Amino acid sequence: MASRRGRIRFNVGGKIFETTATTLANAGRHSMLGALLDDSWNPRQPAEGEAAEAEYFIDRNPACFAVLLDLLRTGELHVPPNMPEKLLNREALFYGLLDQVRAARWGPFDGNRLQLVDSVSGRAPGDGTAIRAGPDGGCCVAHGSMVHVYDWMLEEHRPISLDYQQVNDVGYIDAESIVISARERLGKGDGGMGVFSSSTGELRHRFRVSHYDQVKSFTAGALSLGSSDYKIFASCKGRCNEYGIGVWDQITGQQVDFFYEPPGCCLGDADKLQWLDGDKCLMVATLFPRTDNCFIGLLDFRDKSVIWSWSDAGTSVSLSLDEKRVLHAIAIEDSRSICVVNQYDDLGFIDLRSNAGGVRWSSRSKLTNRKAPNEESCYPKLATHDGQLFSSMNDGISVFCGPERVLTSTLRRSYGGSICDFSIGGDRLFALHSEENVFDVWETPPSPII
Amino acid sequence: MSAQKKRTFKIEAFKHRVELDPKYAERTWKVLEHAIHEIYNHNASGLSFEELYRNAYNMVLHKYGEKLYSGLVTTMSGHLKEIAKSIEDSQGGLFLEELDRKWGDHNKALQMIRDILMYMDRTFVPSNHKTPVHELGLNLWRDNIIRSGKIQTRLLDTLLDLIHRERTGEVINRSLMRNITKMLMDLGSSVYQEDFEKPFLEVSASFYSGESQQLIECCDCGEYLRKAERRLTEETERVSHYLDVKSEVKITSVVEGEMIANHMQRLVHMENSGLVNILVDDRYEDLSRMYNLFRRVPDGLSTVRDVMTSHLRETGKQLVSDPERLKDPVDFVQHLLDEKDKYDKIISKAFNNDKSFQNALNSSFEYFINLNNRSPEFISLYVDDKLRKGLKGVSEEDVEVVLDKVMMLFRYLQEKDVFEKYYKQHLAKRLLSGKTASDDAERSMIVKLKTECGYQFTSKLEGMFTDMKTSVDTMQGFYASQYSETGDGPTVAVQVLTTGSWPTQPSAPCNLPAEILGICDKFRTYYLGTHTGRRLTWQTNMGTADIKATFGKGQKHELNVSTYQMCILMLFNSADQLTYREIEQGTDIPAPDLKRCLQSLACVKGKNVLRKEPMSKDIAEDDAFYFNDKFTSKFIKVKIGTVAAQKESEPEKQETRQRVEEDRKPQIEAAIVRIMKSRRVLDHNTIVTEVTSQLQSRFLPNPVVIKKRIESLIEREFLERDKNDRKLYRYLA
Repeated sequence: MASRRGRIRFNVGGKIFETTATTLANAGRHSMLGALLDDSWNPRQPAEGEAAEAEYFIDRNPACFAVLLDLLRTGELHVPPNMPEKLLNREALFYGLLDQVRAARWGPFDGNRLQLVDSVSGRAPGDGTAIRAGPDGGCCVAHGSMVHVYDWMLEEHRPISLDYQQVNDVGYIDAESIVISARERLGKGDGGMGVFSSSTGELRHRFRVSHYDQVKSFTAGALSLGSSDYKIFASCKGRCNEYGIGVWDQITGQQVDFFYEPPGCCLGDADKLQWLDGDKCLMVATLFPRTDNCFIGLLDFRDKSVIWSWSDAGTSVSLSLDEKRVLHAIAIEDSRSICVVNQYDDLGFIDLRSNAGGVRWSSRSKLTNRKAPNEESCYPKLATHDGQLFSSMNDGISVFCGPERVLTSTLRRSYGGSICDFSIGGDRLFALHSEENVFDVWETPPSPII
Repeated sequence: MSAQKKRTFKIEAFKHRVELDPKYAERTWKVLEHAIHEIYNHNASGLSFEELYRNAYNMVLHKYGEKLYSGLVTTMSGHLKEIAKSIEDSQGGLFLEELDRKWGDHNKALQMIRDILMYMDRTFVPSNHKTPVHELGLNLWRDNIIRSGKIQTRLLDTLLDLIHRERTGEVINRSLMRNITKMLMDLGSSVYQEDFEKPFLEVSASFYSGESQQLIECCDCGEYLRKAERRLTEETERVSHYLDVKSEVKITSVVEGEMIANHMQRLVHMENSGLVNILVDDRYEDLSRMYNLFRRVPDGLSTVRDVMTSHLRETGKQLVSDPERLKDPVDFVQHLLDEKDKYDKIISKAFNNDKSFQNALNSSFEYFINLNNRSPEFISLYVDDKLRKGLKGVSEEDVEVVLDKVMMLFRYLQEKDVFEKYYKQHLAKRLLSGKTASDDAERSMIVKLKTECGYQFTSKLEGMFTDMKTSVDTMQGFYASQYSETGDGPTVAVQVLTTGSWPTQPSAPCNLPAEILGICDKFRTYYLGTHTGRRLTWQTNMGTADIKATFGKGQKHELNVSTYQMCILMLFNSADQLTYREIEQGTDIPAPDLKRCLQSLACVKGKNVLRKEPMSKDIAEDDAFYFNDKFTSKFIKVKIGTVAAQKESEPEKQETRQRVEEDRKPQIEAAIVRIMKSRRVLDHNTIVTEVTSQLQSRFLPNPVVIKKRIESLIEREFLERDKNDRKLYRYLA
């Protein structure tokens, strides 16, 4: 019933809206509005002149429709202060425009323009242990044996757990699937690793490890999800010293490989795994306090070799408390180095190009007023995103930019205690505080008008 | 308001859970079900999309998603069963059309149903792991229509029958075929493959196996290939018209396997029309077709190549061992070149310049050229012939072409040093007798040999050219200095040849006539005066002379003769009759040369300035010779050639061979020493291999000879045998 000038009239819940076919085309064919205007539902093309009177009636909330129509017109989302977000999201889902709403809500991630948009408190007892950002802006938080799942609207879904065993790590395969690695329960064959639906919390698949054709139970530690070749890596500990890194296919869920721990390397107990796409190898880091001597290695699965490794075993002869210990590590492929952090929040870099290099520490004690390490502080964590380096310390997160890693921003909030973990994904940063069971959501606002 | 006032306010628990009208879900579903019916019945114009969408939305919202979904499955299955029936009922030829039409309807309906149920598709389906509506619609179509008992086999049979009819020349409705195969592809690649492609390939295989069997019995090779090629194009076209692109490789490989691979040997060896015949007749089109078809199948090209190689070797062998051909070296080489040209053309025109064919051609030539050990000589003679006369009036480019072709043959030679030897001889003759047609062509040939074999190979040849040039300068200098004294006496043109550069046989100089001796001595004095410390020896066997003679009736002729002949004729200035022995004594010319000279002076018709008693072809030692008074010739200038075969005679050949062998010895020794110097210790076999590979570019050394050279080197204490292992040799610095 488009008029000659392409004008379309709607009656939404009694209120008349008029817009153009071009604006509505932004909704796409696979939306309610797209289908409504499709030729198959409008078999008789109106003759010229008669069209003006016809209108589409939609029995929905007119205020929300106005906001969504504006979104279609401009690509921007402006929600009136009196309109609950949930209401708008529900209406967007009705029209099939939820993805557009999400895309308009926050801008592309930039560590220097982050705004705190929400703080979410959980109900679980005790402290959270890990937080992971999902690819669509949702997140999940591990608390002991449970993982709490939040979608991008920060609505909590059914929590998930693997036989109620202690969760070691979690990760998103995609927005709909979460992997959990958990401790094995002796003698029961529980624990291990499983994939869950993030929306319903159902267990979809349990990963198996077989050693010499025998399926064995295992404790899964750190996880890494290779993005380019659909693999899942996990550090595994079996009870018969079957330590190493297991590899599974994300699509079939079948075990495809196992890298047994060679002497002198710690793989089964690793704290952090990171798949390096460019080099096609996996970084494995086993760190203090799990071990006294840190070990970082790069594994090549094609010929089962450790192509690069670093350890502080030889260097620290005296285990004094003041010793700088590596507490977290992250590989930065672009600069061919591994970034590490110690208990004084100093950043250090290890060159990946040479095999026998040491840590090049850059002290930043000048920049931060170092608190005396007390019982409430958490171990620092590192993350990178698009060339920016993030490092958590106490209750704040520092952002470093450029090849010289210049401190450019600090994200801090006074409530909730120090940050025990944080994660970047779906253009958002989630920071989990050690006390109060609270996590913060930081996002970049949409681009300015001009 | 008033009613509210009367009631006391109290909070009261709900008596029962708030629930929607239990009929609500049923009612709503009925509305949607009705809509689906209407959509399938092409009666959708009365439906309100907004209302249906809202209803479906509400059902999902109120947790009736499952009901909605299972209702959809039931309703759609019901409709598809009806459709199946109507397709089954369609009459013979209309079957596919009905199927296609219904498929179109179903797709349209599916789209509209998906529109209504979009909300369910977006929320309920992913979280409950259901199949999305569109895919569900395709699956139901597959299970209810395509794989229903009565339709499945009929569909396959119809499709295969149509394809068979098209193969036998009928015209079929291709766009309908396209729609149907597209439907199968839309239903998933496995449906297309399982339900159509696999049986299609099987049927095709048996069709082509039968057809090829029939064709091979009644067609000749060329015709068979033409038909096979046409079938292949047909199948490719078929794929592009109405099959999945991925089928192309599969169906063509079926045709290739059945029509080519299975009959390869028979085709190639077919009597009267096989590959050999095609090659002989230069049928480029057939060859090219065979190449392109055989290329597609494993071992196809190698089969063609093997046949070509064995044919080439066979004919080549005949060519080089044909005694008729051996009589004329130029013709012999020309035949080789023609053969090479023929195959070069075939390879470039029909075989796509295939490297492996070129290699086969080269190795075949290498094989049979070296079968005849006179090939080096003949090739050199061919060049000699071309450079003497053959290239007159030919443009520079064409000269290059001829020389390049010769070089190509040269490359095949294993005994390049033998060629060098002959080439040197022939070049010397050309230079000394001034028969060279083009200096540029000569030099160009030298440059080619140089690029092919290196500086060492041609240094002596180049030395010959330098000698020629300096001789001209020397002669000019000589006559300039003798200016005052030159009167009517004979003049001499001396070519000073550097020893070693020229293929000179040490021969005692003959007795020159006194008239010549004078000027020769003058030259010797002049030359030694300008170049101290040199030694001049006269090579009288290689010179020529122009002499004036007056015959009986006073007619004068200028005779062009060799130095030897001049010496003989000069004797007749003082005598009219001389016996063989007298001549021999007077000139001191070696007997074989003398005989040859006399033969050409006395026995050649038209050039017989001497007369012989008795008159016979051959010269005997007691023959007598007379000055032939009656000699006449219509030319003033008479060239008296030497009766000398262009080709070497058998003893000469032996001699050359021996000299070549002699020359090889130092080369082999040098190679051995070079190798041992760098390797210090080596066993016998390794030395032999290394020496062979080092010298390959010049000749193929015989292992026995290498062994002899090693022994000789041991004797001269360049090497020693290892004391413990007798097989090992040690280099002695």
